[in-house]
Amino acid sequence: MSRKGFLPLGDRMTEGQMPMHLPATALLRWLQRLAYRLGIRGRGLVIAVPYLWLLLFFLVPFAIVLKISLSEALIARPPYSPLFEWVEGMYLEIRVNFGNYLFLLDDSLYAVAYLNSLKIALISTLLCLLIGYPMAYAIATADPAWRSSLLMLIILPFWTSFLIRVYAWIGILKQNGLLNNLLINLGLIEEPLAILYSDLAVYIGITYSYLPFMILPLYATLERLDRSLLEAAADLGCRPFKAFLTITLPLSLPGILAGSLLVFIPAVGEFVIPELLGGPDTLMIGKVLWNEFFTNRDWPVASAVAIALLLFLVIPIMAFQYLQGRQQEARR
Amino acid sequence: MSRRLGGLLVPGVAGLMAVGWTTAGAQELNVYNWSDYIGETTLEDFVAETGVEVNYDVYDSNDVLEAKLLAGNSGYDVVVPTAQPHLARQIEAGIYMPLDLDRIPNAEGLDPILMERVQAADPDNQHAVIYQWGTNGFGYNRDMILERMPDAPVNSWDMIFNPEVVSQFEDCGVSVLDAATEVFPMALHYLGLDPNTESTDDLAQAEALMMSIRPYVKYFHSSQYINDLANGDTCLSVGWSGDVLQAAYRAEEAENGNDIHYVIPEEGTVVWFDMLAIPADAPNPVAAHDFINFVLRPDVMAGITNYVAYANAVPASLEMVDPEIAEDTRVFPSQEVLERLFVTRVVSPRFERERTRAWTRIRTGQ
Amino acid sequence: MSQPNRRQTKLEPWQDPNEEPYVRIDGVTKKFGDFTAVDDISLNIYRGELFALLGGSGCGKTTLLRMLAGFEQPTEGHIYIDGVDMSEIPPYERPVNMMFQSYALFPHMTVEQNVGFGLRQDRVPGPELRHRVDEALELVKLGHLKRRKPHQLSGGQRQRVALARSLVKRPKLLLLDEPLAALDRKLREETQFELVNIQEQVGITFVMVTHDQEEAMTMSTRIAVMDAGWLVQLGTPAEIYEYPRSKFVAEFIGQVNLFEGLVVEDQADHVLIQSEATGSDLHISHAGSVPVGTRVWVAVRPEKMALSLEPPGVEQNVARGTVDEIAYLGNLSIYLVRLESGTIVRVTSPNLTRVTEMPITWEDDVYITWPNYAGVVITQ
Repeated sequence: MSRKGFLPLGDRMTEGQMPMHLPATALLRWLQRLAYRLGIRGRGLVIAVPYLWLLLFFLVPFAIVLKISLSEALIARPPYSPLFEWVEGMYLEIRVNFGNYLFLLDDSLYAVAYLNSLKIALISTLLCLLIGYPMAYAIATADPAWRSSLLMLIILPFWTSFLIRVYAWIGILKQNGLLNNLLINLGLIEEPLAILYSDLAVYIGITYSYLPFMILPLYATLERLDRSLLEAAADLGCRPFKAFLTITLPLSLPGILAGSLLVFIPAVGEFVIPELLGGPDTLMIGKVLWNEFFTNRDWPVASAVAIALLLFLVIPIMAFQYLQGRQQEARR
Repeated sequence: MSRRLGGLLVPGVAGLMAVGWTTAGAQELNVYNWSDYIGETTLEDFVAETGVEVNYDVYDSNDVLEAKLLAGNSGYDVVVPTAQPHLARQIEAGIYMPLDLDRIPNAEGLDPILMERVQAADPDNQHAVIYQWGTNGFGYNRDMILERMPDAPVNSWDMIFNPEVVSQFEDCGVSVLDAATEVFPMALHYLGLDPNTESTDDLAQAEALMMSIRPYVKYFHSSQYINDLANGDTCLSVGWSGDVLQAAYRAEEAENGNDIHYVIPEEGTVVWFDMLAIPADAPNPVAAHDFINFVLRPDVMAGITNYVAYANAVPASLEMVDPEIAEDTRVFPSQEVLERLFVTRVVSPRFERERTRAWTRIRTGQ
Repeated sequence: MSQPNRRQTKLEPWQDPNEEPYVRIDGVTKKFGDFTAVDDISLNIYRGELFALLGGSGCGKTTLLRMLAGFEQPTEGHIYIDGVDMSEIPPYERPVNMMFQSYALFPHMTVEQNVGFGLRQDRVPGPELRHRVDEALELVKLGHLKRRKPHQLSGGQRQRVALARSLVKRPKLLLLDEPLAALDRKLREETQFELVNIQEQVGITFVMVTHDQEEAMTMSTRIAVMDAGWLVQLGTPAEIYEYPRSKFVAEFIGQVNLFEGLVVEDQADHVLIQSEATGSDLHISHAGSVPVGTRVWVAVRPEKMALSLEPPGVEQNVARGTVDEIAYLGNLSIYLVRLESGTIVRVTSPNLTRVTEMPITWEDDVYITWPNYAGVVITQ
């Protein structure tokens, strides 16, 4: 791959403008013709779409970030050294710098931020599960006529901007906010509680924001659950609560897992919620990444942090899910 | 200048708008400025006078602006970076085009002393002109402070950096700007060290100083304090001059009994300049020059200063500025005070990283 | 219609006035909103019976079964099992086990765990639990598969696990909801007999829901035929088959030819019915008294009819027509004969001789005859 072939693409992709230069229909037609020439037709085309999607919106950006993470920071535009360079017009020089990764090991900040992010994400996921499970269960067992309305209520908050919803929590949690005023008026507390700008506020924010991601997959598994299994359990002498523990809970494990991953993964990298609701001592990897990128202007280290996050977190989870999928396939 | 996190939305919005600009005609201008940092009618007047269509977009931190400029093809015609260290570094990275002063006759009216001050960032004033300037200081709630400490040294950095003093105000709320680049130079200066030092020993001393006052700080934030100070939720906030004055005006308007004062500490502090500059890849450089020329016109500049309560560098505008602001030494410091002010400079990336790291330790208490 | 008439030798408990009913369903009605699923049903089931609830879909048979299990509460009426009123007793405390139509095996448990589930709920100690699980699995011949999970079993094996699971607790009453519906035909027939044998071995009272009349006939001691929430007829398979009390039962159980007619003679030992369909009078020797002038139906089972090419020389119980269709089924053949009135009559005849020698063929003019005892008078 020549430098000319690769870099311009990369540069354009970083601004997200490349596809916008071409009218969408022309692009689509061009892709169709390309697919046809490559012998991808009909069914193959349908299957190719998700792969193309993955390639375009995951692998290519990933490759760009990986490339930046292997370069060196410069005061230039863009602010990092090129990975490939033509020397004297004939030698292709590839300069790979692993220093950014070694640097992450050097400073305890990154490890501490990773661990803290894991902790916050884990606790938030558990909270989501504790709150989301009864809700999903209630919806799944509700009268079918009601279910879609109840689901609608779960999805409804998505219709307002995420940022506005998080801002709303500032109004609720702040010193003289709704919650404190309510509690003081009820005579439950004398002094306002300092919830805003603390880890507690971050837990509340993440749990609130990601709750639908927990409820929806849980609902899907619980709704599919064969009701006759619970009847069979009752018939065999099992009381309702024990039947829940021995039948419903183990069988909803795929939903619990899917929901937990959907909450956990974005919560680890969450930036906005801790920034808005968290205190100065709320240290999460998202903030560290922000600092690397914006304050230190060190794109290579910022990229290395991002890649490391992916390696340490997403890959084990993906592998786990892959194995799970295989297991389920075997069950069919 | 309100450096609020609400600006998080801005990159997304701007990204979408950028599409249109790449193919747009000449009669357009894309301005990217700090939020709450322009006169009430400035844009309307410019449109009325020139017929150029203005797309106005705001940000809340130099870092966001710089990230976009470094990525290239930002699509903006006029931006407003702070002279030191951001503009200086951006000029080094080759982000700006030299200004064509023939197209900006009103630049003649800029205060030459102030323009000389920014030459450290922009040699020979080639790339930028001063838009507004101000100081870093602190605001305090007079009644709350005096109630707790009748002999409080309200004109000194001791209010913030002396643990024995600041600890008295822990219960009524102390806030500090959340920016290493802003706070460290002040802490170093308080310690009698070079605010632009690159010595890690100096940095360690400043960090120790910050750590000693850390227990009494309610939060680190760069915009929240405006409201909190005005509402009496905090009583002592390190902040930017215009923002603290804004808090004072708000408290006055609300008549909530909070008497807010802004202090330029007597030990001296950071002075900063926000500059008008044109990116080298600006799509509409002609309109950009026209806009800068328009803004520097004394009557236009007076309108801006009247609204944002920051100082400008166009002396001829002062006779049109509201006397309450023009004569306010907290906005336009006296010559004597001016001499005690200093600018921050670009530090090496290595030191920058150390400083950010130290700041993270201070923030998180780790 | 084959029947293992294995109980003929014993005294049938429902005929014994001293016998206490084991399950008493007393005026039970179940309504779902405006819909009445079960309408005022009363019936008794006796110890050791294999009782079938038979009917089409939506007839209320499953609802009745679910009320026995305790999954539904009767809107009115009571259910007693072994003398105890079940009204207030939740499913998990009833001495009843059920085998579900879907089998409802717990997919995350092995065969062994599935079967042992009920015993674990009763805190049966480990060694005894294992012994009883093994015993139950031996009974259904699945001892070698106990470590498998349900998804690793065939349909027939799952059915046996479900059976073992519902038997292992030795319930007073075993409920079976369409126990064979999910099996293919051959397996179904084998399993019918096996289920009957197992019931005899364990001596538990079975109540089975089925829509398959053949299954009900083959397996059960008595059948309750249901329609639209009503109990239409209750009786032994032979009673139901030979003496259907309504057109619905006659048509639902097996094949039948129905001739409409007018009662012209009502004597102590017979009735005589004039039928436009056959063009002859129909003589029924064993019928109860039916007033002259009543319009009735006469039901005659196809296998009770005979075909001949020659005129039989009788005036009654005879019809004339042409052969429309012949279906050769190996052991027997089915003839569809079109009468002059247009009525199609179905006649089955055992193939006593070889097909090639079969004398009756398509388009032949034939006579259908049947004995006096073959017809049943139906007034409903």
